[in-house]
Amino acid sequence: MPATKDTKVVRGIEVRNDPAREPCFKIVHLHHDVPDEGNETIEARRMRAHREYNQEVQTLEVAALCLVDFPDAPWALRMELARQCWDEARHAELMFHHLKELGGWKGMYPIANLDWSVVAMLDSLPARLAVQHRTFEAGSLDIEVAAVPMLRDMGHDGQAELTDAIEADEIQHVRFANEWLKHLTDAQPRAVMQVAQAMAWLRKLVEATSLDALKVISTNDETRQLAGFSNAEVASVSLLDNAGIGSIPGARGPADE
Amino acid sequence: MLTVKERGQFVATLRYVYVAIMETLSAWVPTAPEMEAKLLFGEHIWDAAQHADTLGKRTFELRMPLQKSIRPAEGYVDFLAAVAAIGPTPQRLAAMYDVLLPALAARQQRYIDSTDKLVDAPTVRILQRYLADNARMLDSARALRDELPALQLNDGPWVAALQKREAGLELVASAMPEAVAAEA
Repeated sequence: MPATKDTKVVRGIEVRNDPAREPCFKIVHLHHDVPDEGNETIEARRMRAHREYNQEVQTLEVAALCLVDFPDAPWALRMELARQCWDEARHAELMFHHLKELGGWKGMYPIANLDWSVVAMLDSLPARLAVQHRTFEAGSLDIEVAAVPMLRDMGHDGQAELTDAIEADEIQHVRFANEWLKHLTDAQPRAVMQVAQAMAWLRKLVEATSLDALKVISTNDETRQLAGFSNAEVASVSLLDNAGIGSIPGARGPADE
Repeated sequence: MLTVKERGQFVATLRYVYVAIMETLSAWVPTAPEMEAKLLFGEHIWDAAQHADTLGKRTFELRMPLQKSIRPAEGYVDFLAAVAAIGPTPQRLAAMYDVLLPALAARQQRYIDSTDKLVDAPTVRILQRYLADNARMLDSARALRDELPALQLNDGPWVAALQKREAGLELVASAMPEAVAAEA
């Protein structure tokens, strides 16, 4: 169980304070305050690379915090989280190189750490897996799958390959979370309640902050199946998408235009 | 020759240390402001976890439970806690990459030198692989500080004092054979 948390209040809701950042970064508290102009111009592509760089670092920070906060978690699950730390560190390095290739630099645009602020408030590992991996990262999978052909069509082949490679790693992160969530909720019925409470709190936060997440993202069924979602779960998300309320918290990252 | 029990104690104690290193690096990721340092720690979390995992498989072969850890001697536990509590990134880097990991490599080398290379060959192979990993980790930290000199700690006496403290500590809580314990 995590110790007392350092928190901040965003739109009336208490969330975890930001992770440490260098003074060159301007930190904002909502996704829609982070510049996003699509993919058409070089400036827009720099914004995208800068956002993804910080996003990968944030995901590394969340996985690392899980290793700190839950020392009694099953060793095999801790190994998955440790491996994820390396994956996210590599992704961040790749995105930083990409940013520099585009003429950008660290701290060029404001950043938001809302994923961290949300997930690091959760006191149980099943809740964090449900929100971070199964919701945020699964949402990113859908975005990345859609982004690869779009980037190729725009002639950004290198960026498309990079996104495709990152997506392959992310599938495993969602898959292990799905597997472990099933295992943990089977073994501890209380975990089901922890997940339900976390998702309810997340919806409240989404409503309060008007997260860009409410934008509709088409769900990629094949990728979600690779990531360990059952057919029924994929169908359920697709139905939500069709109703315009799906993929609630996943809409972060560059391609949510 | 080291007994099965003595070998198991060393391996399980080393596993405890690598788990502690994994947790320390993990705690440093969100609290270090420098992005490059976060990424270095992120990579090495996985290295430390792999080391702990392989040692934990070896404990089972040495008549202990799978993934068994044994708490080191109290002084060494205190040392690990002191390293984990360090705040500024240059000091963290120095403590991990100039003191703790090199000293741990030296302890592993001494174990390799003292154990029977045939009887204890599985442990020796594991530790030899770690020595190669350890060298890569130290190289990465060196390259980072060459690239970003602000992360280089220019405080030789501080590092020397920490090295001296580490060198004076027993690692394994229970008695080890003289050849290993005296040098460790």
